[in-house]
Formats: sequence, C-alpha cells, structure tokens
Amino acid sequence: MSPVPSQRSIGDVLLKLDGISLAFGGVKALDDVSFEVRSHEIRAIIGPNGAGKSSLLNVINGVYHPSQGAVTYKGTTYRQMRPHEAARRGIARTFQNIALFKGMTVLDNIMTGRTLKMHAGFLFQCLYFGKARSEELAHRRKVEHIIDFLQIEHIRKTPVGRLAYGLQKRVELARALAAEPELLLLDEPMAGMNLEEKEDMCRFILDVNDEFGTTIVLIEHDMGVVMDLSDRVVVLDYGRKIGDGSPDEVRRNQAVIDAYLGVRH
Amino acid sequence: MNGAAPPAVADTFPRLLLEHARVHGTQTSAREKDLGIWQSWTWSEAAANVRALACGLAAMGFKRGDHLAVIGDNRPQLYWAIAAAQVLGGVAVPLYQDAIALEMAYILDDADVRFAVVEDQEQVDKLLEIRGQLSKLVHIVFEDPRGMRHYSQTFLRAYADVQQVGRDFDAAHPEFFLREVNQGSSSDIAIMLYTSGTTGKPKGVCHTHAALIAAARGGCDFDHLGPGDEVLSYLPMAWVGDNLFSYAQALVAGFTINCPESGDTVMTDMREIGPTYYFAPPRVFENLLTQVMIRMEDASRLKRALFHWFLGVARRCGAEILDRKPGVSPLDRLLYALGSVLVFGPLRNVLGMSRIRVAYTAGAAIGPDLFRFYRSIGVNLKQLYGSTETCAYVCLQPDRHIKLDTVGPPAPGVEVRIAEDGEVLVRSRALLKEYYRRPDSTAEVFDAQGYFRTGDAGLFDADGHLKIIDRAKDVGKLSSGAVFAPNYIENKLKFFPYVKEAVAFGHGRDMVCAFINIDLGAVGNWAERRNLAYSGYTDLAGKPQVYDLIARCVEKVNAELAADPMVAESQVRRFLILHKELDPDDDELTRTRKVRRGFIADKYGRLVDALYEGKSVQHIDTQVKFEDGRSGVIEADVSIRDAATYPPAAMRNSA
Amino acid sequence: MGFFLEVVLGGLMAGVLYSLVALGFVLIFKASGVFNFAQGAMVLFAALTLVRLMEILKQTFSPFLIALLLTIAVMIALAWVIERLVLRPLVNQPGISLFMATLGISYILDGFGQAVWGSDVYALDVGVPKRPIVLFESMVPGGVLVPSEDLAAALIAGLLMLGLGVFFQRTRIGRALRAVADDHQAAQSVGIPLNYIWVIVWSVAGLVALVAGIVWGSKLGVQFSLGLVALKALPVLILGGFESIVGAVVGGLIIGVGEKVSEVYLGPAVGGGIENWFAYVLALLFLLVRPEGLFGERHIDRV
Repeated sequence: MSPVPSQRSIGDVLLKLDGISLAFGGVKALDDVSFEVRSHEIRAIIGPNGAGKSSLLNVINGVYHPSQGAVTYKGTTYRQMRPHEAARRGIARTFQNIALFKGMTVLDNIMTGRTLKMHAGFLFQCLYFGKARSEELAHRRKVEHIIDFLQIEHIRKTPVGRLAYGLQKRVELARALAAEPELLLLDEPMAGMNLEEKEDMCRFILDVNDEFGTTIVLIEHDMGVVMDLSDRVVVLDYGRKIGDGSPDEVRRNQAVIDAYLGVRH
Repeated sequence: MNGAAPPAVADTFPRLLLEHARVHGTQTSAREKDLGIWQSWTWSEAAANVRALACGLAAMGFKRGDHLAVIGDNRPQLYWAIAAAQVLGGVAVPLYQDAIALEMAYILDDADVRFAVVEDQEQVDKLLEIRGQLSKLVHIVFEDPRGMRHYSQTFLRAYADVQQVGRDFDAAHPEFFLREVNQGSSSDIAIMLYTSGTTGKPKGVCHTHAALIAAARGGCDFDHLGPGDEVLSYLPMAWVGDNLFSYAQALVAGFTINCPESGDTVMTDMREIGPTYYFAPPRVFENLLTQVMIRMEDASRLKRALFHWFLGVARRCGAEILDRKPGVSPLDRLLYALGSVLVFGPLRNVLGMSRIRVAYTAGAAIGPDLFRFYRSIGVNLKQLYGSTETCAYVCLQPDRHIKLDTVGPPAPGVEVRIAEDGEVLVRSRALLKEYYRRPDSTAEVFDAQGYFRTGDAGLFDADGHLKIIDRAKDVGKLSSGAVFAPNYIENKLKFFPYVKEAVAFGHGRDMVCAFINIDLGAVGNWAERRNLAYSGYTDLAGKPQVYDLIARCVEKVNAELAADPMVAESQVRRFLILHKELDPDDDELTRTRKVRRGFIADKYGRLVDALYEGKSVQHIDTQVKFEDGRSGVIEADVSIRDAATYPPAAMRNSA
Repeated sequence: MGFFLEVVLGGLMAGVLYSLVALGFVLIFKASGVFNFAQGAMVLFAALTLVRLMEILKQTFSPFLIALLLTIAVMIALAWVIERLVLRPLVNQPGISLFMATLGISYILDGFGQAVWGSDVYALDVGVPKRPIVLFESMVPGGVLVPSEDLAAALIAGLLMLGLGVFFQRTRIGRALRAVADDHQAAQSVGIPLNYIWVIVWSVAGLVALVAGIVWGSKLGVQFSLGLVALKALPVLILGGFESIVGAVVGGLIIGVGEKVSEVYLGPAVGGGIENWFAYVLALLFLLVRPEGLFGERHIDRV
C-alpha cells in the first residue's frame, strides 16, 4: 500500500514569458520563446547543452534583460527587472555552479536568504538593538525549520567551502527557501550528484512544492528525474522552443525526439 | 492527582516515574535538541506526557498485555511511549529504526504487536509497505507530522492527537490512570528486546520490571549514579544497553537523558551536553580517535609535536594516575598536569568527554591501545560484559581495578561459573524471564541450576576477573588440532585504524586466511596524503599500495600471535581485501555490526576457495542492496596476498 | 630595559596608527575586491574637513563634537557620491579599471579638499592632554614614559577594531557585507542590493579614515603629507593579508615595532634612516616567502 498521492491544485498563471529574444553580440541565445508557468506547478526546462536554458532562467530573475519580449509575473509586465528586485517580488533561485558564500557557515548562508524579510533598518541595527535582536531570533527560528526540513543539522556551523558538492547543492536550496519564495528557479539542482543524493534532492523538491506550495521552474539533464518530477516540460533547442506539454506529450513529440531525446545524453 | 493514593513501593517503571515526579518534579528528566535549541522536560512534565499518552492509547483500545512497538531515533516521546505501554500493563517492543521493512515485519508479527508508536513518515511508510502481512497491527501513531498531511488512513494517528484524546479521556475517567499503575506488578513483562540474531531468527527476550530494575539499581550503586548525572541517549532504543542506560537506570536513579538532534549531530550535541555517564561500542571510540588523529595530521608541526609528546607522557603514566596507583614519579605527575592543561583537557573537550565520570564500552573487544588511550587522557573508560538476556551486564570493571584484557569480576549480585567446555554460565535476578513463545529455546539456555548459558567461552584469571576469548561455538580447530579463535584474530586486525572489518577462516583447514575491509576514511586519508587517486571503495581496496599497507598490519598481528603458544599456529598466511564494504543491509553484518562469518563464507565461497587454492587473483560478482531497497551488482577482480609469518615464540627461544 | 620598553611601546603606538589606515583598505578590498588607492586622500580629506569645521564652529559649545558629526555626514555623502558617479557606472568592469578610478578619486579629493579648505598646515587639538604618563614604575627603574595622546589613540583604535569585528560578525549588515565580498552574483540573487552595500562599505571606510585622520592629525598636524601615510599602509597589508582585519592590526604592530627597534639599535651602525625603508624591505621579504600574508586566505580548493 502506498501513501495517498497529494491532491495538489494547479492554479492560475503566475509567470508568463512573451516572445523573449536575447542576443549576445551576434549570437541569439533565445529566439522568440513564449511559455507560461502556473502557480503551484513544477515546470521543467530541458534541451541540449547551449540550448539557452540557463539564459532563460537569467531572464526570469533579471540577470539578463531580453532584447525583445516581456516577462509578466503576478500580473505585472516587466521589460527590465534587476535581480534583487526579482528577489523582492518572491523569486529565488539556485545556480548551476553553486553560488554560495564559501567562507561563511551554512547557517550564515541560509540567513542571508532572509535578507528581504528583515525589516529593522540599518539605524535600528545600531540604535535599537533590542528590536533588531528579536527580529534576528525570529528569522533564526524560520531558518532552523528549513535546516530541519532539509536535514542539514549536522553541518549548521560548517563553512560551506568545506562541504561535499551534494551538500552544497542542498544548502543552496535551503538559502533559496529561506526567502519563502513564490517562484523557485533551480538551475540543474542534481548535476554532479550520485544516485542517492539525487533521490534525496528529488524528494526535497517534491516536499517543497507540496508543503509550501512553491512554484518551481527547474532545468535538469537527467530525463528520469524530469519525467518523475515535473507537471509540464518546455523543450528548447538552439534558443527556440520546440516542445511544450506534459512529460508524456513531450516524450512523443517528434521534434523533441530528434533534437534531444533520441540522442543519448 | 486524582484517584487512589500512589503505590507505596516503586517497584515498576510507572511507579518510579510517578515517584520522581512527586519527589523532584521540577528537575530535568529529558532533553532533546530540536531546531537548534535544547528543549527540556521536567519529571512532572514527563509524567504528564506519559499519562496523556497512556490514556489516549487506552481510549484507542489498548488492553493489558497488549504489545506496543516503538520505532525511531532516540526521542523523549518514544521513551514515554515505552512508559505508557507499561502503565497500561502492556509490553513495549522497541525495534531497530534502520531495519528494512521486511525485517520489521518478522518481529512485528512474531511479537504480536497491536500498536506501534513510530517517529516519522519514513517509519510509517515502512509499516504501510508491510501492513498486508500484519493482520495483528491495528494502530500506528506517528510523532512527527511532517509529510503526513496527505495520509488519510484512519489507523494512522498523530502522537499529539492521541495525547489530546488521552487528556479528554483522563478528564472523563480521572481514576483510570492510577488504577492502571496500581494494577501493575513487578513480575509483569516490561519490555521485549529482540536479539540481534547472530544465530538464526531474532528471538524476543522478555524482561520483567523486577529484573530490569534490579539490573539498573545494581549498576547505579556500583557507579554511584544519581540525579544530576547526564547521559547521552543515542544508541538504538532496541538495544538492551540503551534500554538499561537511558530508560531503566534513568528511572531508577532519576538522572537526565539527552537526545541528539539527529544521528549526524551526535558529536556536536555531545560536546554541548557534556554527559557524565556515557556508553559507546568500541567502534565509536575508535572512530572518535581516528577523527582526532586525522585532524592532528592537518595541524601545524608544532601542535602535532606537542600533541604526540604529551600523549607519550600520558601513555607512560596517565592510566596509573587515573587509577591512583603509587609509583608515578613526581616529574611525570608534573608533566601530566601540564599536559592536562595543554592537550588532554582540550582533547577531552573536543570529544565531549570533559565531564564524564563513568564511560563504558562493550559489544566487541576493544583494542588495548584504544582503551589505554582514553584512560590515559583521563576518561574513566571501563568495559562491561553481558548480553540482551542478562539485562546488558554480567561483569563490570570497578573503578581503579581495570585490566585491559579482562571484563572485570562478576558484578554484585551476579554469580558466574565456567562450564567444563569453557562456556560462561550466569545466574542473577536480572536474567530474562523467557524467550517470547519459545519455551524450547528458553529451556535450552537454562541449565538445571538455573544458570543461563551465555554461549561465550571464557576463563577467570588469578584475580577473579573474567576473560572472554570467543563465542563458544565459534572456537574451532585447525586441521593440525590447534585452537582457532577467529574473533580473537579478527579483533587484533581491527585494532588497526585502517582495518574496518576482518573475517578469519581456518576451522578444519590447514591454515588461517582472512578477508579484510579497509576503513574508507582512514585509508582514504592515507591515500590522499600520498596523492593516490581513487574513485571509491572498490577502487581503493584494489590498489597494490593499499595491499602493502594492510600486509604490514597483518604481519604485525602475526608477530603478536606468534608470541602466544596457544594461538601461534593461527597466524594469517593469506589475505584479501574485499571489493565491497560488509553491510547489514546485505545481511553480512548484524544490526549491531557483528560479522556473520558463516553467511559470508557461503556468499563469498569462491573467494574463500581461491584463498586456499593458492590463487593470486579471483573474479567475483556480488549482489548489493542500496539504501532505498533496490539492488545492483558489483564486479571486481580481487587480489590475494601472502603474509609473512613468524616462528612461534617457544621455538625462537630454543633456537 | 626601561628604554627598550619605551622603544617597543613607541613602536606599538605607531603600529596602531598604520593599522588604522590599513583597515580602511581592507574593508573596501574585502567587500568589493577593489584596491582603494584613495584611502590616503580620504584620511587627509576627513581630517581637513574636521579641522576646518572646528574653526568655523569655534563659537559653539562644543566645536569638536558638532564638527565631528558634520564630518561623518560629509564622509557618508562622499561614499554615496562615489558609488553614484564612479562605482555604479563601472559595475562588472575589470578590477584594474576600478583601481584606476580610485586613483582618479584620490587626485580629485586632494585637489577638491585643498581648494575648499586651503592647503596650510592646521593644528588639530581634540582635547587630549599631551603630558606623558609613566608606566611600570614598580617593575622598571624610572618607569616607562608613554605620551598620553598615543595611549588615547591606541585605545580609540582598539575600540574601533572591536566595533568593526562585532559589526562584521554579529549584525546582519555585516553578514550581507561578507556575502557580497564572497560572491556578488549570489548576493544579488538573495536580494542584497550591491549599491546599498557599497555605500555602506565606503561610508565605513570613510569613518575609519576620519578616525585615522584625527589620530594622525593631532600628532603631526593636518597637512598634505597626511595623504602619504597611505604608503605606509601598503607594507602593512602585504604583511597582514589584504582580506583580514586582524591581519591589518597585527601587520601594523609588527611594522611599527620593527622599524622603531631597528632604527634605535641598528640605525647607528648603518647610519640611520632605517625607519624609512624598513617596512618596505620586510614587505618584500614577505612577498617572496608568504605572498598571501600572515592572515590572508590561502586559496586552496578542495578537489
């Protein structure tokens, strides 16, 4: 007997990309890409190397500004958004090549994820220590819940640079979660992990989606993982969208098979 | 409190609990680290929690004589569940939390478990997986609700909900709880612990309140434990030792139990708590020492020199100073005092052992060097000897009368006899009542005078200290007729930090050969320092340089064996390094990590044959089970080496 | 013995002052990886602003306090202007461009400061008594003479460093600063606004410059050469490591003591003047033996 599957309710459109094009010099990284992400769903972006997957994430959280097209997030359309503004609007992300603060402890790293949730200003920090302190404690409690959630209690005080790769990925996820994002962008969350770590990570991603109702957009190479995790899949090839649909639909799509699935990755 | 007056004599665990709540209700009974903070519960709170849970279980239909399984990491809530079952005249059956579902199914069925209190989703999933086979299991209570939102099965209940039901029930039936406690008798079965099953299927060892309390009281008196002592509860709850130290003794002496945040944080948590009473199997002491040594390798040259120099001082006189023996020179005393400030104190602190008054080890032989190391840096580490059937101990080493190679004299109240065939026989109040529903097995282990057959071979030395040689049934003979005690050889091998497990063969053969498992941490570190690249265990285990390293260890053991005429013929002639780590999931080790020699000999028959056929390499495919239950195959060409042997001491002397 | 102690103490005091200047460099280097050549100019500018404001405010009840607060405001405004006009347009440019930019800032500040405040030598009197104090009288015959203003300077510097340590390790702004220093991109993605952090870092560096300016200025007088103390900070940084606050302190003390002791005891043998080049020779040796400095982060990546 297996656990009763979760009754998740996919909601309205949370994020919409409309005709996004992005060029670096003469090279078109993205060419007229449109798709939408509904709230509460897990949306995968797949495609061969160099297909523009990471660029797309970078457009969503404002690292790159598209040369054409617009991003609509929570009903507001943006031509240009900066990363920390995206963060303020509830978009958190992880990076393909882990971007943690290597010299800081796991706990401090995750605490930085709370930056936008902190209200006591700089002056309060200096003048009114009590309030800033009680706020810090409240944040610490929140962060401890995330530490508990991702089962990284044992490395709480360890500097991140000393951790194994798989654990760093988990810490990066923890830091993103600390911001209590509505939209979580994961850039190859399982790259370079062994089987056991991958399975743990899969479970965490599903748990996050389930427990916190977080909408997730993820880039992943492992097709098994993508098929298991995601509700819908976008397929990119050479910066163009060549497929979009449920994992099963995408698997049957001839263009996708030619471009990607047919080729052993 | 409502209902009848509390019983006069605290002769059952529920009565002990109420007694502590009455006498020092505001003192700390249990702590647990959760969300980075140590949460604590007083004896009154513990009693109230047990009361609520017991009433809740009763409301769900728990009857006197029912069996309640307890599965999970050490948590106050799970210890309370044991107490709650005992309040209701039931029997608690703790299970190893890392056992796979199938193993659990056997015990749950064998023990006629009707109720289970488990820690979290992981354990619930395991029970759901095997629920089809368990017609008797009707209720599952889970403590941690995380991930359980979508489980709608009606037989699943949250711990907190059960307690709430219990409080309502208690309000409606205020006399119920104390009436139940009063009905209990010290001759009731309190707990059932399953033997690890080195031989055959696990058997449920039934202990009465009286036996456990006698054992606990004996131990507490022996080591002067009382309120104010602190124990770290981190060993599996299904193991008799944890039941004695964290439950029975805590309730008898009224000391505080401390549950770590998770299995991975034990070291940190131990440092924070600083227990005064500590138990660990030898492998834990060994791992701790290995970690310290690895860290010292990375330390600056000055620190390293200082460390080793003072350890030399400690080796010379540390144990003697701890035992307050005369004959230590004033200079050594001075140097040792200096070492305490500079090295031993900080070291004890790093190990979390600053406050330890009494530490025990048992379960396997501890290396003399390892044992002496801890004693020499001022940790009062002692050995005990016993088994599940004897409530954990038979012999305890008394303070200041420690001998490295014995387990001490029989503990107060315990009679020990050596049978003619060398088997150790025990009689005391703390023996098992029976094996659950196995009268034949029960009859087998008791002799006519009521002595329990331990199955161990041993002897008394001149001071009346017991020395255990091996399992009685494991002691075999080489084809020459010489004694072959495999454990003795394996333990000597395992005393090297590079050797994690060893399996010796030789019964009925003309020579002794061995399988070796290297310690991935220690050998890996050794390899890194030599810039020896490796991709994983199998790769590292096959390296010729690693073979050289292990050959040196084997040859040192041979030299030691050669010195003792009894075992001189048991020198290891040939060995191989196994291509995979022995694993309880593959049934190669028991859950307490003892090697299952017979099983291994069967499974790796081709390797054993190759050892004796004189081959230098052997190909083998091995099935392995991963943590998630799936299986795979490891293939390898395992090399075999000859090891140098030495002429027996007697011959050398005559030459 | 007493004399030797006096020399060592004198060296320690000088070292504290070097450390103060080095500290400003370390702060900005840690947070933005930029070697701020303008730190010396900031010291001069801050001191000059303070001393001239004190003159203007002579009639008020406490010219020093009011002028101090105003100068702090000026330094914060300066940080803001630098971020707006220099750093922001140069974001994502190579480090050398930023370094050249700070060179420019240095000249502009020098020129601007002297144009506004004049280029004379001004005496800065913050009210610390100049009378020397005698220490260790019971232990050393005659005791050890220590100028009380040096003692005050050391005290102030110590407090400042302690404060900075707490600021960096214990507050969330400090945590954000460390995060930015560690990884710009990651810091932005968790919502730490770089611009804001830069303003804070440059403000803090400005305040450190102000303290250095007060201490140096009251010793030597506020004059153009004050900007040159930055040159002494360089060997301190090489000794202590560019990224370590502790390193800046220890490096400063070593150089301070080293040059005073060698001047007094070796000077006569080589004809004096050791004080002028000692620090640089020591720094050169360090570059050869331990280029990351005493406390610098050795960049070793675990494979």
